[in-house]
This record gives sequence, structure tokens and C-alpha cells, in this order.
Amino acid sequence: MPAIARAPIVQGLIFGIVGFLIGIAGTGLVRVAFLGRDGGDWWSTDLSWTIGYPVALVGWLIGVGGWRYWGREWFGGEVDQYEMKGWQRYFGFSPDHKVIGIQYVVTFTLLFLLSGLTVMLVRYELAQSGLQLFNNDTYNAAMSFHGITMVAVAVAILAGGFGNYVLPLQIGAQDMAFPRLNALTFWLVPPVAILLVTAVLMGGWETGWSAYPPLANLQTKPGQVLFNLAVITFGLVSILGAINFLVTVIYERAPGMTWGRLPIFTWGIFAASLIAFFFTQAFAAGLAMILFDRVLGTSFFNASGGGSAILYQHVFWFYSHPAVYVMVLPAFGLILEILSHLSRKPLFAYRWAVGGMIGIVALSGVVWAHHMFTSGMQDYLHAPFLVLTELISIPTGLIFLAAIGTIWAGRLWVNVPMLFALGFLFNFLMGGITGIYLADVPTDLFLHDTYFVVAHFHYTIMGGEIFALMAATYFWFPKMTGRMYSERLGQLHFWMMFIGFQLVFLPMFDVGIKGMNRRVADFPSAYDDFNLFITLSAFFLGASFIPFTWNLVVSWIRGPKAEANPYRASTLEWQVSSPPPEHNFPEIPEVVGPPYPYGQPDVRHVPGPAGAAGAPAGGGGGGGG
Amino acid sequence: MRRDLTLVIVLWAIVSIVSVGVAVFVMDPFPAVGAEESELIDEAFMVMTYMGAPVFAIVIAVLMIALWKWRASGPPAEGEDGPPILGTNWFPKAWLAASAVLAVVVMIYPGLTGLAELREDDTAEMRVEVTSVSWQWLINYPDHDGIRLSSGAGDEMVLPAHTRIQFDVEALDILHSFWVPAFRQKIDAVPGQTTVLYTTVTETGSYEDDVAYRIQCAELCGLNHTDMAMKVRVVERDEFDEWVAAQHASAAKVR
Ligand code: HEM
Ligand SMILES: [Cu+2]
Ligand SMILES: [Cu+2]
Repeated sequence: MPAIARAPIVQGLIFGIVGFLIGIAGTGLVRVAFLGRDGGDWWSTDLSWTIGYPVALVGWLIGVGGWRYWGREWFGGEVDQYEMKGWQRYFGFSPDHKVIGIQYVVTFTLLFLLSGLTVMLVRYELAQSGLQLFNNDTYNAAMSFHGITMVAVAVAILAGGFGNYVLPLQIGAQDMAFPRLNALTFWLVPPVAILLVTAVLMGGWETGWSAYPPLANLQTKPGQVLFNLAVITFGLVSILGAINFLVTVIYERAPGMTWGRLPIFTWGIFAASLIAFFFTQAFAAGLAMILFDRVLGTSFFNASGGGSAILYQHVFWFYSHPAVYVMVLPAFGLILEILSHLSRKPLFAYRWAVGGMIGIVALSGVVWAHHMFTSGMQDYLHAPFLVLTELISIPTGLIFLAAIGTIWAGRLWVNVPMLFALGFLFNFLMGGITGIYLADVPTDLFLHDTYFVVAHFHYTIMGGEIFALMAATYFWFPKMTGRMYSERLGQLHFWMMFIGFQLVFLPMFDVGIKGMNRRVADFPSAYDDFNLFITLSAFFLGASFIPFTWNLVVSWIRGPKAEANPYRASTLEWQVSSPPPEHNFPEIPEVVGPPYPYGQPDVRHVPGPAGAAGAPAGGGGGGGG
Repeated sequence: MRRDLTLVIVLWAIVSIVSVGVAVFVMDPFPAVGAEESELIDEAFMVMTYMGAPVFAIVIAVLMIALWKWRASGPPAEGEDGPPILGTNWFPKAWLAASAVLAVVVMIYPGLTGLAELREDDTAEMRVEVTSVSWQWLINYPDHDGIRLSSGAGDEMVLPAHTRIQFDVEALDILHSFWVPAFRQKIDAVPGQTTVLYTTVTETGSYEDDVAYRIQCAELCGLNHTDMAMKVRVVERDEFDEWVAAQHASAAKVR
């Protein structure tokens, strides 16, 4: 057998394809056995995929290493130790949280760039009225692909990537609580990407990222089935990841790392994991019910069969509203973390910030129907959901309090991560304030499903979470790769992205109010000027990712070596070498004080001189992949 | 510290005033106002803008001073940390109270009051049945002997000015959403149920004056969602009556 055939990914693909064939063959046999006499076909795209895919998924997981490194022991066998080194370890079933963190970051960054390229085409189409590049059908496919991939990136990259890499270090743990589950969780991601891309190649699906039935039930496109399967798998990623984070934070904290001493980023991941753990299943259930409607002929959502289209929206938003906090809570934690380190001040009102996060978790589950004010749901639901939604601005205000209190009178080192953190504050402020208009029923009846909404959620998700992602990428780049990025290219990236972002999304508020609805390939020519301006700005915004990609790739290969603690920061991840040694800490550290002891000469987070690197350099062997 | 606080307050005031000024004098976002409800909603929009301005301004003010006065030129040296302000005093409580007050205010006005006002009157002078089917609007005037229009045939929905209209909205296949931007409110068309929207149409207007005079499907409904639109024309009462008569005449001819 040639060496390439033994590579985990290749084995995973082979096993996956075999699994798929077994699945569809079995389905075909059953169909022929039962339908044969009526001239039934052995192949039904919906059904064959629905059965074939789970079998393929199991095959993929077995082939990629789940059997060799884990599964065997369930049947009394001996498992192998994962021994790959250098760049190769990123392409297998590594249980090391630092490898997995980088796997998430790289995978989702690639998906992010792919989705970004797609939306450049979408914007090209929207540059003027009429149809240029797409037709109605391909527009829907491109727009839907952009939506769901970006949602997936936003849900997973901060927690899955940076949470995995940094959280165990921050709490003084040697790894996550369940390292092999962690590996399994990551290896569920490639099938999601493969399914979504395949769905587009098969003609896409029509329902955006929200998959509202009855359209999702009735459209004939098989892409819908692939979409549902992909997103259910992705839900599994989210839930398993969340369980791992929750258990890790509860049980793996170093001695002395009390809840009141947890770094705020860890709090952000913890809070987001609570939400992901409790709510994700609702979305998965909704999508499964659509699949049942399609392949089994149930009628959860078909009015003609006694079902209800509005039911789905409740189930969907019961998850998808909380999901925006799965995206943004890690971002809150991260921004507060960076502001504290780079302003050299303790986090202002730490307890209130944590309280704010917990408040958001609690409220996030009871506001979902604010997405449904125009849906035709019972009228008496409007007022309570209006009230509950407005309440969320109170805990969110506490996060802003902590942010501006922390920079107040600080010593602001305005480097690239700090610029992105401050940019986050501005963007999320805009996103938050415009959210009020969408929470108050009278204005929402007007603005719902217009470009105002598109602008609002890009301000919160892209201007918020993705700016935080950029801050995280630069901030921890030296820790993760052992090399420094170029400050000048980073600043160029920031200014292009910040200015480009405003130029793209500010006018969208306006054109939305003027009556342009979302999810359309064409529009009255009265909106031409706006859209041309937005499209040109979008190309500029897209171009900002050239210095970004260039900077990171080149710096990773041959940037200057990074010190253990280039920012002289206080938390534990900075007290070990860059990149950290194999099991993180030569010996488990002891925590003796609050996480951000800046300006207090006799307070320490860990024993030793303030802010100095405490651990010897060790071999993490970064710079490889 | 004292001076910085004064500075923040001054900047806060300036940024608030400038934002409100921009909102009042520069921003002109709204499309044609075709209904009483539009006035209510536009007003609610502006009220929220005025309330949002000081919230926006406080954060911007602090960001501005921070970038202006507290910038360090590089990684700070040993012992040059900022002052350890922990925020364990009364200030967070005051902030919490202030934000709670603000939240409760917007929730009541323009939120709940506006909602109550929109819902208070469920009578109408005229009924229009709106039926949606992928990807067409079918308009039926039950009060006028069943005039039927359809977007597929290129018809225009004609309405009398200064009339309170009840739209009964239905869907034959999947979800759609009935929205005339000039009237602001929208309501989904849901298979298996009839949803209702009341609109008090005011001035005359048409698609040619402002594209906000169109029915636009506002719920993604697949392939031709983009094109699921229909022009709207609001005319004076007598002109409307003439139009009704003409419709009946041409319908009679067809029969
Ligand atoms: C260069 C940056 C981006 C541009 C120019 C852009 C633009 C757009 C456009 C034009 C649409 C389609 C609107 C429609 O037809 O209704 C859209 C939809 C969407 N975008 Fe973006 N976007 C960008 C980045 C992002 C990012 C970073 C995220 C999230 C992390 C994101 C999330 C979404 C979502 C969730 C949708 C909704 C899709 C749906 O309606 O189902 N976008 N975007
Ligand atoms: Cu929501
Ligand atoms: Cu539609």
C-alpha cells in the first residue's frame, strides 16, 4: 500500500465512500424489495442521501483515526498512541488541544475566505438592477451558501479554534477534559464542509440559511437534504464541543484557579458553551423534522397534513437567537481580555462583566420570537417578547461598562489586536443600538426582512464577532506559531477592513429603510446608486483580506521568532514558551490571585515576578503546518 | 481624573448633539408616507434614534479621549501600568440602574404604546383579499363585486385614499409576506391560516412616484421570490369609483 493511502484523511475518505455505498445499496435493496412490483425505483435522491450519509460519516470517522486511536478499546483491543510530529500531526486524529485549536482556526479561516469570495460574486450581481452574473436560481444558491458557511464560521471559530487552544492554558490544565472526544468533534467538521460544497455543486438549495418550511419541504432540490444533514452534523460539533468546554472548566482548573479568578475569555467560552449545550438540539430537531417530512411523508410543517409552518420558526429561533450569543459571548470575553492586557489595567467591574454574561445566557432563551413579529403568530405574544428582548440590553450594557472602564486612564498600547478590539466596540455598539429598532414591534413590522436587518446582523456578527476573531488571531499568533506577525501589514489590514466595513454596511441601513428587501437578486432601479456604492466598497473590504492572508502565511513561515510573552501579559498562557510545550506546563501552576493584577505591585496571578515568563522554553515545534 | 471626567461629559454632550443633529437635519431615510401607520412607525424610529444617540455618544466619548490622551507608544515598561481601578464601588450599580431605566423607557415608549396603537382599531371601511401563490399576488375586492387582479397579468393594485383597509392575507402553497413599503407594516402569508393587516391609507401615490408603492414579497419563497412584486396606486375616492366601474365594464365585456 503506498504511503499516501495510509494518510488518515485518505483512509477517512475511502471508508466514507464505502460507507456511503453500503448505505445507498442497503436503501436500494429495501426499496426494491418493497416497491419492486409497483415499478418503484431503487434510487431516491432524498432517501438515499439521508441513509447513505450517516453510514458514510461513521466510515469517515473510523478511517480518519477514530477506530485506531479510540474505538478499538471499546471492543477490548489495544489502541495506538498518536505519534505524528511536525506538520503531519495537523492531518490526523490528534488529541492535543493545541493541534485541534489550530485545525479549527485554519479550517474555518479557509471556509471564511471561500464564503467571502462567494459573496464578492453576490455583490457583483447586486451592483446594479437586472441580472448580470446569476439568475434567480443561482443567486439563491450563492446567497444561501454564503449565509450558512458564515454562520458556521462564526459559531465555531472562536470557541473551537481559540477556545480549544487557549482555554486549557488559561486555566492551567494539561489538556481538555476529553481529548479524544475533542479530536472526534473536530473531524466531524470536514464532512459538513464537503456536504455544503457538494450541495452547491448539485444546484444548491433555496432557503437561505434558515430553511423555513414549507419551502424546505416542497422544493425538489436535493441540496436541501444535504444542507439539513450538514447542519445537523454541525450541531453535533457544537454540542460535543460545548460539553468538553463545560467539563474542562468545571473540573480541570489548576489549584487556586477559583471561579472568581478565571480569565474573562474563559468565562466567555463557558457561557457560550452553556447556550450551545442547551439549545442546539432544537435546531437539529427542526431540521430532522424537515427531513422526516421530505423522506417519510410526515407533516410536521405541512398545513395540508395538519402541520404548521409557524411551528418550525419557533423551533428554529429557539436555537438561532441564542446562537448569536454563542457567536458573540466568546468575542466579549476576548475583547475584555485584550483591553485589560493592552491597557495595563485590571478588568473594570470583573464581577459585573461575568454577571452580564450569565444574564445574557439566561435571557437568551426567552426572546426568540422577536424574529417572528410579522410571522402571523398569536398576537398576544408580541408584547412579552418585546419586553424580554429589550431587557437584554441591560446585561449587554455591563459588558460595555467593563470595556470602557478598563481603557479609562489606562496605558493603551494601540497595536493590531488592540485596534481590532476598539473596532469591535464601535461596530458592536452600532449593531446593538440598531437592534433596538428590531426589538420594538412597530419598527420591526417595517424593517423586518429588509437590508436594515442585513446591515444590523453584519454589524453584530462581522463587525463584532469577526473583528474579535481578527483581534484573537493577531493577539495569539505569536503564542500559537512561535513567530511574530508584521505590525505594519496588520495595521494596513485593520484600516482597510474597518473603513471598508463601514462603507459597505452603513448604506445598507439606509437602502433597507427606503424599501429594499433582503434575499433578492434584483431590485427596482431606484436603488441602483446605493447598490453600486455598496458593491465597490465590498470589493475594497474584500481586498483587505489580501494583506491579512499574506501577513499570516509569510509570518508563519519566516516571521521573527516570538518571545514567550511579547505583551508582558499576566494570564497563564503567556507564562509558557511560544508555542507551549507538549503538555503545556512542566508542572501544574498554582494560582494565587486575580487574573489581571496590573498596577498592583504586590498582587500576583501566579507566583513569580510580575508579568515575566515563568517557564522554560520547550519544544512545541510550531511553524510547521 | 477630575479633568478627564469633565472632558468626557463635554464630549458626550457634543457627540450626542451632533448625532441628533445629523438624525434631524441630514438623515432623510424614509420612503413615501402612504398611511397613518407609516407616520407612527417613522416617529417611533426617530424617537429611538434620539434615545440611542446618548448611548452611542458615551462610548464614543471615552474611546476618543482614550485614543487621544492615554496612548502609549509601545509595550509599557515595568512599573508603568495604569491605575488599578477595579470598579467595585457604586459606579456599576449606577450604570446598571441607568441602563435599566433606558431599556424600560424604550420598551414602553415607543414600543408597547406603539404596538397598542397599531392594534387598537380592528374595524375597516373596506376589505381586500390578498392571496399569494408562488410567485404571484392575487388581489380580490370582495366589497366591489369580486374584482380580481393578479401580478402575473401585470395588474396594479388600486386603493382609495383616506380609507381604512383590512387586508386578509392567505397563502396557497408556501410562506410569503405581504409588504407595501409605503405603508410600512408587513404580515406573512401563512398556508392554512388567514392573517390580517389594517392600514389607513392616506395620500395618493404610485410606483412611478416612489417605488415604495409596490407589494413586495418579504419572505424568501424560492426561485422567483425576487420578482414577486406588484405595483400599487392610491387614488382619490372618485377616481377609485371610476376605476371600479371600468373594471366591471371590462369584466362584463369578457363575459
Ligand atoms: C465582505 C464581507 C461581506 C459582505 C459584502 C456580505 C454581504 C452579504 C450579502 C449581500 C448578503 C445577502 C443578502 C441577501 O440577499 O439577503 C449576505 C447575507 C448573509 N451574510 Fe454576509 N457579507 C459579508 C460577510 C459576512 C460575514 C463575515 C458573516 C458572518 C460571520 C456574514 C453572514 C451572513 C448571513 C448569515 C447572511 C444571511 C443569509 C441568508 O439570508 O440566509 N456575512 N451577506
Ligand atoms: Cu434574536
Ligand atoms: Cu417571496
